[in-house]
Amino acid sequence: MAFVAVENISKTYNDQGSRIGVPVLRDVSAEIGEGEFVCLMGPSGSGKSTLLTILGAMNHPSQGRLVIDGIDVYALSDERRADFRAQYLGFVFQQHHLMPYLNAIENVMLPLATLPLAAIEKRRRALEVLEKVGLAKKWSRMPNQLSGGEQGRLAIARALANEPPLVLADEPTGTLDTKTGDEIMKVLLDLSARGQTIFMVTHNPANAALAHRVLYLRDGELEPTPGVVEARSEYCRSGRG
Amino acid sequence: MRISTIAFANLRRRKGKAFFLVSGIGIGIGTAVALLSLSGSLREEIGSQMDRFGANIVVTPHSDSLALDYGGVSVAGVSFDQHQLSNDDAAGVRRIPYRKRLSVVAPKLLGTVDVDGRRTLVAGVDFASELRLKKWWRLVGRAPESATDVLLGYDVARAVSAIEPFPGTSADADKSSAHHSAAPEEFRITKERVTIGSREHRIAGVIGQTGGPEDRMVFAQLSQVQDLLGRPGQLSVIEVSALCKDCPVEDIVTQIRKELPHANVSAIQQSVRARAEAVDRLSRFSLVVSAVVLAIGALMVFTTMMSAVVERTKEIGVLRAIGFRRTHIIKGLMIEVVIISAAGGIVGWLAGLLASRLALPYFTEAGAQIELRVSLAVLAIAIAMLTGIVSSVYPVIRASRLDPSEAVRYV
Ligand SMILES: Nc1ncnc2c1ncn2[C@@H]1O[C@H](COP(=O)(O)OP(=O)(O)OP(=O)(O)O)[C@@H](O)[C@H]1O
Ligand SMILES: [Mg+2]
Repeated sequence: MAFVAVENISKTYNDQGSRIGVPVLRDVSAEIGEGEFVCLMGPSGSGKSTLLTILGAMNHPSQGRLVIDGIDVYALSDERRADFRAQYLGFVFQQHHLMPYLNAIENVMLPLATLPLAAIEKRRRALEVLEKVGLAKKWSRMPNQLSGGEQGRLAIARALANEPPLVLADEPTGTLDTKTGDEIMKVLLDLSARGQTIFMVTHNPANAALAHRVLYLRDGELEPTPGVVEARSEYCRSGRG
Repeated sequence: MRISTIAFANLRRRKGKAFFLVSGIGIGIGTAVALLSLSGSLREEIGSQMDRFGANIVVTPHSDSLALDYGGVSVAGVSFDQHQLSNDDAAGVRRIPYRKRLSVVAPKLLGTVDVDGRRTLVAGVDFASELRLKKWWRLVGRAPESATDVLLGYDVARAVSAIEPFPGTSADADKSSAHHSAAPEEFRITKERVTIGSREHRIAGVIGQTGGPEDRMVFAQLSQVQDLLGRPGQLSVIEVSALCKDCPVEDIVTQIRKELPHANVSAIQQSVRARAEAVDRLSRFSLVVSAVVLAIGALMVFTTMMSAVVERTKEIGVLRAIGFRRTHIIKGLMIEVVIISAAGGIVGWLAGLLASRLALPYFTEAGAQIELRVSLAVLAIAIAMLTGIVSSVYPVIRASRLDPSEAVRYV
């Protein structure tokens, strides 16, 4: 069985106003193997972030199952699912969501705050991942004292602090200029080269081209054939608006 | 990095809000502490003054015939019935379980005798107790020492020509001093002895005019009077002054009644009682005001926490997303609340103490003090924390229920 198995997942958001919900994902199935770097593309509003948060064990699907490492994630209780996230997942958000009042190393240690580790061990791990993203020297900086690219790298470092088997990233390069976007991609590719499993949402076909595999989402459905990236790039740009 | 690290960092980041909350709770607690310690020390002061106002419990025999009147209390005089009080009863009063709270037990035998040929009310007393009880007596002369020493009331002393005004006071001093309270310096004793019944007694002193029944009385040693009246061992009344800080006068009365079932025991309602009641009303008022101020503080904590939760929606969502349990979120926020409200409690306690010290002189005589009570500090901090925690429960639980996927959505 694949490391991550998305089994016939559907998602309908129930809007407060209308009684009939909007179907966002329809019968989506996919698999991600260990060590794979998979990109998810699709036009705006096609449900990419929805699928990512479902993979992220924090958005209950309306139907279907998510099995990661043999664990039926949504069969877990809410608190156990939080533990699952702490143990299995690392998140890189598009806006990074760094805590502005914590310095770089404290931000990295955030996912370790609830774990029963000695303070010195938490620090050691945090420095180690800061090293990985090339920020070891700037460990005491506050987020606003870092460049956009450095903030992105810090966000990645935080996602890696708990040594997660699966890293989920939602448009980590989305708001950045090409150069800093490349900086982020380089770190992610580095990780991938070392065997890290990564699932990333992106609008950027050039970045997607660097992944092992690309999935396309349109109108809530995965397109059946894994296509050729170049052919889709035109479509992606128009989809972005 | 632990959950508390995040809580502390948040407090540091939102100093203004933390300050606002601390002062809010502090004002509430401070008001409560100030009012409660003020009414507390007023109560203490009244308690310590209680025996200045004389007896607050009077024991008399059961009797149908009300022959004599003593200080507004009817006293069985000459009529003999089976329920006379005796010296044993005075000892009985001293045996009650609350005996430590009795400051004075003053037994008395009352009767009428001839003093230099005039019918006069005589009281046989134990002078040591009596003088402690009648602190307002201004004595000219000495306190009685030997068994035959007596004290004369002002009117009696004048009637038997035992005193004369000091030279230098106006010629019609006699007339005026009948209407005005005579200060002790205004007369002197001119007579050494007086005949009571058939015996000679030495005049040890004269009680300056009080306007009360004492003015028309003679005070002599109890056993002497018992002899004189032919009523050995008997008493007419036992006056008791109970020292009452937290004042279980009713309890003391009940205990004396139990000890002396044949006697009449009653508590005297006095002006002190009225004042004690005023203080009671003040402390009830204090409690209500404190509760209201605290409720306002609680409301403030509630709204501030609610807005903090809204403000931190994204942050809390991110923490949930990266693996914080609901209980971790609750813990983090509660650490903040507990620190803020404990600080509020300490600040409030100090402020309240200071305020009550400053205000005390306007309410009481000099000498009254605000005690530094550890229990009050502990109570203040505990109530502050309770207020903070209770009013944060809802916002904090709400925060813990935030949907992380919703919170981290790109907006
Ligand atoms: N919590 C929610 N409640 C209601 N509707 C939602 C919610 N989250 C997303 N949607 C709707 O679901 C659809 C898909 O949203 P989603 O964010 O998954 O799209 P996306 O592919 O990530 O888009 P983008 O490329 O703009 O980020 C949208 O129409 C959106 O309005
Ligand atoms: Mg999205």
